[in-house]
Amino acid sequence: MRSKFHEELKEIKAKVARMGELARQMLKDSIKALVKQDTELAEKVVSHKGEIMNMDEEIEQRCLQAIAMYQPTAKDMRTLGVCLKLITYLNRIGRYGKDIANVAKELGGKPHITRLVSIPHMAKLVDGMIADALLAFEEEREMNAQEFTSRDDDVDALRYSIFRECFTYMIEDSRNIERCMHYALIARYLERCADHACKIAEKIIYMVTGERKEIK
Amino acid sequence: MENHIKVSIKNLSLWYGSNQALDQITMDMPEKKITAIIGPSGCGKSTLIRCLNRMNDLIEGCRTTGEILIDGQNVYDRRVDAVEVRRRVGMVFQKPNPFPKSIYENIAYGCRIGGINTKQRLDKIVKESLKEAALWDEVKDRLSDSAMKLSGGQQQRLCIARTLAIEPEVLLMDEPCSALDPIATAKIEDLLRDLKRDYTVVIVTHNMQQAARVSDYTAYLYLGKLVEFGPTRQVFEKPEAELTERYITGRFG
Repeated sequence: MRSKFHEELKEIKAKVARMGELARQMLKDSIKALVKQDTELAEKVVSHKGEIMNMDEEIEQRCLQAIAMYQPTAKDMRTLGVCLKLITYLNRIGRYGKDIANVAKELGGKPHITRLVSIPHMAKLVDGMIADALLAFEEEREMNAQEFTSRDDDVDALRYSIFRECFTYMIEDSRNIERCMHYALIARYLERCADHACKIAEKIIYMVTGERKEIK
Repeated sequence: MENHIKVSIKNLSLWYGSNQALDQITMDMPEKKITAIIGPSGCGKSTLIRCLNRMNDLIEGCRTTGEILIDGQNVYDRRVDAVEVRRRVGMVFQKPNPFPKSIYENIAYGCRIGGINTKQRLDKIVKESLKEAALWDEVKDRLSDSAMKLSGGQQQRLCIARTLAIEPEVLLMDEPCSALDPIATAKIEDLLRDLKRDYTVVIVTHNMQQAARVSDYTAYLYLGKLVEFGPTRQVFEKPEAELTERYITGRFG
């Protein structure tokens, strides 16, 4: 009976990892669509919304069923609890990808104010954080909370710098306001995704060690 | 542990002939708390709780070393009367074992042996014990019926009432729910939570979830050794020993 439970736990974990890959893909593609003004790709990202929601519901259902059927303890219990939290964070990340893709659709066809450098760079940092957290989840490896905090600080600093850059363009020419508002919003979305990556990392530390550590 | 230590086990080892069943057990059980003892079959759980009221004295070839202090007094001290120890430390077994007598007599019997003979006092003890064991409402109109007519769960609560009647300080329960259905089990678990207001309870269980639900402290025994002892929440959420983790997550045992 227990080995059946451990098989189920393994499958649930694999599903969470797949959901993580989808969330990452949505976020990466949305930035790609924004930079390249590829409305078709943006549309594809938006179309994944239902898929990620279904994964969230399915995994939640399987976790609850496993708790009811097997009443797990210790690391098994922590792993299931963490899966339940992770899917919420991953769903949010996927949805931010969808939101950015919607902006990309709206901004498509008109040229960018300047060559977009900071936003793709910021997105790359954020994706690295999510990818590392997901790998640690799969490998059940403890994460370095301090290092993650410092990566989150870099993302926050980039968000601030993008805001400042946008202000400059808006003051220069009021016709830039709409577009710059969108850029600032995207920077804010990416910052939130990094925050979710931090929460994911916190949960993985708890799953692996049973200790609660805060990533600020 | 903030509570007064009711039962303190110090370096307890036990042999059945040449076979060592307990090996240097040391642990403190706080007063008015429930301590669960878990572990795979044959790990010494029942042997350990049977030491607490010297039930093992009755087994030929059984030898113990170490101390068990109840309120600071070693129950294995030669000056201590084993019968008095068993009065202070009551026990409920795996299978309900009421006497083949009436419900009333099941409880009154021990009291009479203890020298209580007046009907008025016996009536009071029977009523209070049955109330304490959450059985009174179900049997108050048929106290003279045979105890054997009761359901398994009721019989087990009757056995608990019988134990409470002689006013013990510590209650030992050796898998009290293993022969009961889930509803009767839930009633006993609710009862345990009520009983800990007045008694120190030690429960042996094979049911991990039951230990997690009802106990305040959990001890994990393996091959006669105490592997881990700590607050139940900690033992079930983040056990310290790898062996405990593997046992409670069902990876062995």
